[in-house]
Amino acid sequence: MEKINLLGICCNWSPYACYNAAGMAKMKMPPNFRLIRVMCIGRINQAMILRAFEFGADGVILLECKDEDCRYGPGPEVGHVNVQRVREILRLLGIGQKRLVERSFSAHEKEELVKALWDFAELIESMGPNPAKPRQERVV
Amino acid sequence: MPLDDPRIDRIIREYSLYQCLECGKCSASCPRLLAGKEYSPRLLAHKLIAEREDEAFIENSVWECLTCGLCEERCPSGVEFSRFILEMRALLAESKGLKGYRAHDGALHSWMRMMTSPDLEQNRLDWVDPELRVASEGPIAFFTGCAPYFDVFFSGIEVDTLSIVRDSIKLLNFLDIEPVLLKDERCCGHDLLWTGDIENFEILCKLNYNEFKAAGVEELVVSCPEGFHVLSEHMPKVIPGFDIKVTLLIDLLEREIRKGGKAFQPFKRRVTYQDPCRLGRMSGRYDGPRALLSMVPDLKLREMENSGRSAICCGNSGFINCDAYSKRIQVQRLREAKATGADLLVTACPKCMIHLTCAMSDPNKRGSLKMEIRDLVSVLADHIEYSEGEEFIKGRK
Repeated sequence: MEKINLLGICCNWSPYACYNAAGMAKMKMPPNFRLIRVMCIGRINQAMILRAFEFGADGVILLECKDEDCRYGPGPEVGHVNVQRVREILRLLGIGQKRLVERSFSAHEKEELVKALWDFAELIESMGPNPAKPRQERVV
Repeated sequence: MPLDDPRIDRIIREYSLYQCLECGKCSASCPRLLAGKEYSPRLLAHKLIAEREDEAFIENSVWECLTCGLCEERCPSGVEFSRFILEMRALLAESKGLKGYRAHDGALHSWMRMMTSPDLEQNRLDWVDPELRVASEGPIAFFTGCAPYFDVFFSGIEVDTLSIVRDSIKLLNFLDIEPVLLKDERCCGHDLLWTGDIENFEILCKLNYNEFKAAGVEELVVSCPEGFHVLSEHMPKVIPGFDIKVTLLIDLLEREIRKGGKAFQPFKRRVTYQDPCRLGRMSGRYDGPRALLSMVPDLKLREMENSGRSAICCGNSGFINCDAYSKRIQVQRLREAKATGADLLVTACPKCMIHLTCAMSDPNKRGSLKMEIRDLVSVLADHIEYSEGEEFIKGRK
């Protein structure tokens, strides 16, 4: 079976604190999982999520702070809107809305975060590879 | 160095750049230059002929053009500027990659490229409501285009481009045509083609052609000018022996209405009309839309200061290089529309609708640019009737 590519986009604050703590505690993470750390999930727009799928991701998980915990203000709300719209585009494309997962964490929830990553990996594994894996955009 | 490429000499010759008299009419009419951008079609032609070592300038300029074709319209020497830009972009993209700032961070180009995947099973047709009569195979198909995607992506500015598609099908049904809608039709590839991504454009063409053939399609009806331009002009170059007739919906409509038996209900509005560049300057349809509007009783068409052949672009093409200068063009265009005293802006291209609606929503303009905007097809679908006056289209508001 084709290798499954999992991508996490992680806010630098609460979720990354969880991820860091989980790493310090040597908790086991799913294989084939790659993480991109951003300052806030509000920095991510529809294009970046779509680009992940265009470049061959089989599943994308957004790891964000709880709504009330955002260090900047509207980050998670921006995330909710983007997720909703990108899911709709994924549905139109027939890629499947479930391939885009959105989860939020407080800074102490490392077990929850690791469990969420395993659940995500299992879900994408069960769905199989993304049916739309196009040629990548030429790299300059 | 790519600019030493002998193919550039061919492109320059083929699109008549050597005929350039340096009269400067192109630069004097370029909306992008007039909006203040440091870009000049005249200088680009000059540099390519006489100073080709200025690579940076040439490359920037090639990606900067709107491809609206206004310079080409004014050029006394017949330089085919838009097509020249198209080929230069393809050539530069080959060696230097795709350039030009992608609007919306390239999200639209992303999904267009995702559509090059052959295994795609799209869900693009769930907006089809039961009152529309459509088929899954047959000789006549309607090309939906990107409308279902646009409405999701641009839901922030509340454009309804799917209404154009619904109204097109209502009109076809009115003419007793039950068009085929293809479940796995791809993007026509206009934006990829015009931004230099020829490789993916050709894949889209081939996938689309196979879809048409599999459904037994002999004639394609298109309402989007970009779709029409690409399917009728560029797709036959990619597919050898392309044997599908491509018809523009408004052409079909005008022909059918002139046969008699159909007319429009009165629509008492003052409207103005935005000529889309792909419909007007690229496909030569200036009179058709105006003739159709003139058939609607009580409708008064007020032309903008720049209309028909001199119409100004909606500010952006192919979703690249949307910036403050595009915005200036759009604001100027909307002010022209307002100055006509019209209260409805009619356009014929979903992208004009998206771009102008976006400019209208600018909070800094405090609503001073707001104006109702509708597609030509929707205005016509709302008012068409049998001239006996008995059988109206069912289910219209």
